[in-house]
Amino acid sequence: MRETPNFTGWRATILHREDNTTERLTRQLKLIGFQVTVQWQPLDATDLPDIILVDADQGWDGLLPWSDENAPRPLVALLGSEAPGRIAWAMEQGTSAIIAKPLASSAVYPALVMALGIHRERKAVIDKLNHLEERVRLRPLVHAAVERIIAERKVDEELAYTILRNCAMRRRMPMEQVAASILGGAEPMPEAG
Amino acid sequence: MNNTVKIGILYSTTGPYAEIGRDARDGADFAIEELRATHGKAIEPVVIDPHAEIAAYLEGARAMLRDHGCRHIVGTITSLARKEVIPLVEKHDGLLWYMCPYEGFEANDNVIYTGGCPNQHLLPLFDYLIPRFGRRPYLVGANYVWGWEMNRLARELIEDAGGEVLGERYLPLEETAVERIVLDIEQRRPSFILNNFIGPSSYAFLAAIRALGARNPAFLPENCPVVSCDLQESELPHIGLGVATGQLCAAAYFDTVATPENAVFKAQVAAKFGSQRRISSVFASAYASVKLCAEAIITAGTDDPMAVSRLLSAAPRPTVLGPILINPDTRHAALPFHLGRINDEGGFDIIAAQPAIAADPYLTRRRARPPEQLRVVS
Repeated sequence: MRETPNFTGWRATILHREDNTTERLTRQLKLIGFQVTVQWQPLDATDLPDIILVDADQGWDGLLPWSDENAPRPLVALLGSEAPGRIAWAMEQGTSAIIAKPLASSAVYPALVMALGIHRERKAVIDKLNHLEERVRLRPLVHAAVERIIAERKVDEELAYTILRNCAMRRRMPMEQVAASILGGAEPMPEAG
Repeated sequence: MNNTVKIGILYSTTGPYAEIGRDARDGADFAIEELRATHGKAIEPVVIDPHAEIAAYLEGARAMLRDHGCRHIVGTITSLARKEVIPLVEKHDGLLWYMCPYEGFEANDNVIYTGGCPNQHLLPLFDYLIPRFGRRPYLVGANYVWGWEMNRLARELIEDAGGEVLGERYLPLEETAVERIVLDIEQRRPSFILNNFIGPSSYAFLAAIRALGARNPAFLPENCPVVSCDLQESELPHIGLGVATGQLCAAAYFDTVATPENAVFKAQVAAKFGSQRRISSVFASAYASVKLCAEAIITAGTDDPMAVSRLLSAAPRPTVLGPILINPDTRHAALPFHLGRINDEGGFDIIAAQPAIAADPYLTRRRARPPEQLRVVS
């Protein structure tokens, strides 16, 4: 079970024309512990709040200071429209939860908790993906190091791979890094076995 | 005001939480009777008993709002019923008066909450229990949002305190087969037991713990109390007098609260129901809610929910629960905390108390909670 989210002291910005919706939303957000700003102009990229709620019915490109779905902060769409174009716009900005308009106060807290959770999950997936991509990129080095071990130690490919892996484990380094060190001469050619 | 204002009374007097519903209904009826005596026909109740059927709650609330012209409904016991009724109340721009202790995480513009959320019952209860009994509790509850959320919060409080939850078990509503849970409790030896069972499950559990304590003193109430946040005076005779003696319960009100207001109230209740009648917190809360609602309507000269809400937030109004002020943002009443120990006479001896605590339904202040300020009175 995840712990009870506590938003006390967090900053929320509502990108929406001031009206009855923003008034009620502000009240509910303050109740949950947020400091709230309401504005209907592009967000300052150098001073992002902790969570952003955006009017997806009328939002335009450039309202949010990023250009793809990798939103740097949890983003909640305020959506009354059912138009596919508006839903697509919300998704393109990196929305991770929706609050339907007209606003039901009971919709606010669940949407924030979910937006935060999904934002963190996405970020974890992106970090992991970057890490794996880096390893894939360096894979030719591993292959080259294995070839070198086969040639110098007169072993088959399977054993050469095992030698390299054992070496990486002893050094507590990724295989790609050990391979690069061997090829570059910084690491002596590991012994067989 | 020339016209009679109708207010809805929506409580179930049958089903798994019948004892609580009957008590609430009695409290509401008692308030209506008193209002008739002082204000004539200014306020007329529309009483509907949904008999614990969710569909009947909806039909009842719809009839009140649409057909009878009610803008105020005092009612619902369970969170399930409250959540079902709220959208209708919102649609008709009415006000729901909810007066049971509940699990929090709600603050609706169309609701007035007078029953208390966890920072008004569970948190001060644990502040009392942990230093005295330890931080290795066993959690039981009804397989329903009340049980789940109360136990989830309890687990967080225990983990924050560096303790350990020794077990967490649930039973369906009305299930009374508690033997396996009690056996597990005996083996695990918790510091205390948090009881979030409702109705018959709770009664069977308390009886089984009584039997356990009789054969193993480690489970006597003074060593390992069973603590609740919703047990009522009216339920104690169903458990059996003496069976749950020594066990603990948190509430905003007990029959035994020693205030002049309560002395007057008890005399009035005794005149109507007889001196044997113990007043429970739901009776007192339903009574207080109907009175608050009706008197605010009469003072405002309108049943417009906005006007009524403004009055309730402008200044504290005297009630049997003490002066009640509704926070305009949370819509919750600040409520006192009392810790009661069940006695042999079917009542609660108050062993600790705290003055009115402002409601914090989303627990935003929990991390920065001020230190314990519990006044021990016996």
